[in-house]
Amino acid sequence: MSGTLRRGRVWKFGDHVSGDDGIIDFAAVATGFGKAFDTEKLRRICFTLLRPEFPDQVQQGDIVVAGVNFGHHNHVDASVAMRVSGISVVIVESCESGLVRRALNVGLPIMTCPGITAAVADGEILEADPATGTIRTASGQTLQARPFSPRMLDIWQAGGVIELLEQEAVRRGEGAALPEPLLPGA
Amino acid sequence: MTGQTATQKIIARAAGLERVGAGDYVTVTPDATVSMELNWPVQMADMKRTRITRLPRPDKAVIVVDHTTSAAMGSAHHVSHQRMRDFCAEQGITHFYGPGSGLRHLILLEKGIARPGVFVFGDEQNIASIGAVGALCIPISREVLVPLLTDETWVQVPRGARITLTGRLPFGVTGRDLAQAFLRDFGPTDKLLQCSVEFVGPGVSTLSLDDRQTVLSVLYHAGADTGLMAVDQVALDYVRARDAGRPWQVVQADDDADWHVEAAYDLSALEPMVTVPPEVHGGVPLSEVAGRRVTQATIGSCAGNRLDDMRAAAAILRGRRLADGVTMYITPGSREVYGAAAREGLLEVFSDAGATILAPGCTTCWGYHGQLADGEVCISTNQYNYAGRNGSRTAEIFLAGPYAVAAAAVAGRITDPREFLR
Repeated sequence: MSGTLRRGRVWKFGDHVSGDDGIIDFAAVATGFGKAFDTEKLRRICFTLLRPEFPDQVQQGDIVVAGVNFGHHNHVDASVAMRVSGISVVIVESCESGLVRRALNVGLPIMTCPGITAAVADGEILEADPATGTIRTASGQTLQARPFSPRMLDIWQAGGVIELLEQEAVRRGEGAALPEPLLPGA
Repeated sequence: MTGQTATQKIIARAAGLERVGAGDYVTVTPDATVSMELNWPVQMADMKRTRITRLPRPDKAVIVVDHTTSAAMGSAHHVSHQRMRDFCAEQGITHFYGPGSGLRHLILLEKGIARPGVFVFGDEQNIASIGAVGALCIPISREVLVPLLTDETWVQVPRGARITLTGRLPFGVTGRDLAQAFLRDFGPTDKLLQCSVEFVGPGVSTLSLDDRQTVLSVLYHAGADTGLMAVDQVALDYVRARDAGRPWQVVQADDDADWHVEAAYDLSALEPMVTVPPEVHGGVPLSEVAGRRVTQATIGSCAGNRLDDMRAAAAILRGRRLADGVTMYITPGSREVYGAAAREGLLEVFSDAGATILAPGCTTCWGYHGQLADGEVCISTNQYNYAGRNGSRTAEIFLAGPYAVAAAAVAGRITDPREFLR
């Protein structure tokens, strides 16, 4: 999708969803340290501890909305799982800084927006723009999150931080062809 | 204009700015960047993609093998160890610490890399423990590759949280009990999210430097980004013995800084705590779970592997034996701790009691050693207690301080350690 506006169907979760024991079961992928992500396995286990139907029913571009302290105790695998499931944006009441970084570094924007869970219901359509911080609900209500910084937008739009460094190297003329991206589809 | 927290002043200096405000996005040049081995193969593949072949500042890189203290049969870790060693030699990185050296949390302090006012990018949140000498660790996970390759990356300036400590820990109570009380109080809330927690007050100086590290090492589990403690003479003496002439500056918060959270703890009111599974904020007074049988006891992790923890364990284990049916693993946090424990005769105490001493590293805390079978019950100074952290999802992990863990190992059940100390 071009531009920075994302529009998608909402998967709504409650407060204090764990990253390693909620978004994913980290123990199930912990043997993968030091290897490339097992993206198919991460896609298959994403949110199944909370919503067993998630992997079968999630669609490209869907949006995750969650309550306070979302994703506490998360390895980067939790962010990758959401990204490879097709989630375009995550909007939370609150979460730790580390999750925002880890997700952004694999191309998934997380916006912090107090009041979001009261404003939207599961399955509704929602619009969000990390560049402006503006979030618009199906009923037309507008909420405001802090806009991403220019560097964060660069990382997101490159598909991740390594992808950004790679694209910058290519623009400097260091290497012509880009190999396959680490993760499929933005 | 309001004042700034110590954290904000350290970030402003590293960003080349006069001042920064909570929530600001700034680009920071670190004084050091620390990475461990688990993600090394991926990081090296990532480095290739960036076409950057030379680290601009190899002198700032600290590369530590701490999760895989030895490469076990069937693992590929020995290859990582070799590649890291070769990479550090090629790049001129002198701060390379191989298997068995210890946790990077401890090494940063012991080697004088973490000093007051120093800004460190770390790959793990628990490295906030270096705040015991007033150094700041901003955790950025495996993104540490970015500052290693470019000498900078972005940071969102944390909000300030000020915790005032008063009083002195009572007999048989350690910094770990404060840590667990702190997690009990803040873990279930989102108050500390995106905060740096700064500990001040007369109680700070009554805690040993080891206990200060333990408290700071758990802040992440309450949602905080990082934290540090007021720097006193004990911390300064420690730093001066290790700085080798490298610069540092004590940074103090302004009293009128914008404190998002303020709270206070009277250390003298604390008691032995046990955290019940599966949440790290499930701390209760030990008496509530006394009598629970245990099959494994472990002392180690960045929240319980320093010399004070070894001394506490030995105080209980000296002249005693583990209960039948209990396995115990004890992991000194670094070669420095291991050597000191040996010189004090503590390792002999552990061995005579029937405990197994593991090489310095993360060992049981992430399940590299000491896996739990179905239905087992463990009591540990480790960081986590969620289902499946150390093997079976049906095993239970209780978290506690070193006295309580050692007492449970001897009694075969959770019991008040003060009975063994009198």
